[in-house]
Amino acid sequence: MDILFFGRLGDVSPNISAPLPEGVIDTDSLRVWLSRGNETLAQELSKIGNRIAVNKTIITQNTALSNNDEVAFMSPLSGG
Amino acid sequence: MDVRFLQISADAFDPEAAHKTFRDAVKGAGAIVAFTGLVRGADQDLTLTLSHYPDFTEAEISRIATLAEDRWPLVGWSIIHRVGPMTADEPIVFVATASAHRRAAFEAADYLMDYLKSEAPFWKSETVGGKQNWIEPRAQDIDDKKRWSL
Repeated sequence: MDILFFGRLGDVSPNISAPLPEGVIDTDSLRVWLSRGNETLAQELSKIGNRIAVNKTIITQNTALSNNDEVAFMSPLSGG
Repeated sequence: MDVRFLQISADAFDPEAAHKTFRDAVKGAGAIVAFTGLVRGADQDLTLTLSHYPDFTEAEISRIATLAEDRWPLVGWSIIHRVGPMTADEPIVFVATASAHRRAAFEAADYLMDYLKSEAPFWKSETVGGKQNWIEPRAQDIDDKKRWSL
């Protein structure tokens, strides 16, 4: 799977391309896995205003994941 | 409506040329409203850097523009958005809308800009004196978007 980080989140973690980690079955467990051992990323991921997209669709609820998914963690959007 | 123009550009663009291209494409429209956003901070040594999520950003902007099409009787729209590093006075964004009458064009352009500010997948940071800061939507940007809630 591909895990992408955008905006402020991109400052605290590189993008990751790897098989689905053991025990990760959905976006909630992926967030827990990413936060483990990386306190800075854990803090950034818990901030209000971040969004998550799975296969380029914004999700608002915990979503099941498979090996072929692309998950994007995005800090607050700011265009214009 | 068949005039839909969207460009995410890593290169500088010319808003006047974009306006003319759009005007030529929507011949017969009674009203065109065009907005250009520029990098502020001419008095500072400032670099503004925008990043995006290729393909997803384009899809989300198209989705937002479709909402505008559903809401106002538009003849066409054009959106150009810069990414990458840029300096003071450079255009960041160009939004133009065309309709038979002015009110729809004014409102649709205003709506599109409010949504681009806080709903389009872009991330903005400024570097002043070697120090980088991420810029996130202000409370005013969120309030501006709320004006369009039904």
